[in-house]
Amino acid sequence: MLWLSARKETGWSLEPRPDEDLIAEVLDGRTEAFTELAARHRPRIERLCQRFFSDAEIARDLAQEGLLRAYTALSTYRAEMPFSGWLRAIVTNLCYDELRRRRRRPEELVGDFSAPEVQWMHLVNHASPEDLVSAAEERRESHDLAHRLLDTLRPEDRTVMVLKETEGLSISEIAQTMGWSEAKVKIRAFRARQALRRQAERMLATGRSIRAER
Amino acid sequence: MNCFEARQEFTGFWRGVLDADRRAELLAHLKSCAGCDHAFRVFALTAPVLHSDAEPASRRAPSPAREFSLADRPRRFASVARGQARPQRWFAMCAAVTIFAAASLAAYLSVTAPVGSLTDELSGSETVSPPEATVDLFSEPTLQMNDFAS
Repeated sequence: MLWLSARKETGWSLEPRPDEDLIAEVLDGRTEAFTELAARHRPRIERLCQRFFSDAEIARDLAQEGLLRAYTALSTYRAEMPFSGWLRAIVTNLCYDELRRRRRRPEELVGDFSAPEVQWMHLVNHASPEDLVSAAEERRESHDLAHRLLDTLRPEDRTVMVLKETEGLSISEIAQTMGWSEAKVKIRAFRARQALRRQAERMLATGRSIRAER
Repeated sequence: MNCFEARQEFTGFWRGVLDADRRAELLAHLKSCAGCDHAFRVFALTAPVLHSDAEPASRRAPSPAREFSLADRPRRFASVARGQARPQRWFAMCAAVTIFAAASLAAYLSVTAPVGSLTDELSGSETVSPPEATVDLFSEPTLQMNDFAS
């Protein structure tokens, strides 16, 4: 009993401490508690950044910058929303700004594909759904081509797609995260889906025609 | 399973979280419905980024876990941290202001400057004044004493 209470007092509990406790510690001046908070959330936000940028180094930098900004603005954090959602909003806005900074206009889908990329497109056209899923896990080009497709979207459209499809946020949650109106989010989601389907169909047709030529 | 239900299950199938029965139903539907099969192939093109929890093995770079440090600010954000605007943004703003000023000046000159004066000066010819009006059609005719004599 004594051992259990000592463990609780000294913080040796096996249960991870809640984010709110760590935040309170950082705000009390024990800034090293933020290291634990960062280690806990970094993998998730790095993964989020990788949905925006294919370059792993850029994704890591954005995640680090997001954590730094969260640390700087920690006094403005209110416990009404979970820390993970607040951090996600910071990182998503950072990724959106970076997308806009890099490219004002969406890129055109250029038709120069490497041999592995053509192979992947052939698989997408002809393989069975089960084979497709297992092949996508192993093939690097499945990722590269997906990023090329997503690069054709406007930054707003891509942000909405990522938040909706991968983070599973609702329209109102996306609007709150980005500071946009719900009407804007709905329009962007609709246009993003349309544009993506159009480009994907073009890509599949390109894959078929290249394969036929070779 | 109908088409709507089938398309709702694409994400679960891709992530491998569908139970065996549901998975079998989906695969049977994809075999029998060409529209849904095509929709799944379109979905599969972006799914590796949007619907996978992990990157493909060949893409994962062995990078050391990054410890959080306040001094570790990525170089691309260093200028933002110091409160400086990015140079290309300043350049774009200056260019926009210059173009706006030039356009305003051109619009002002086109309204206020007399037409043809500059070309006349350059060519050395005299300014041609418009001919004086000889007949004023719109003024009232003046009555003379002789009009009443007849």
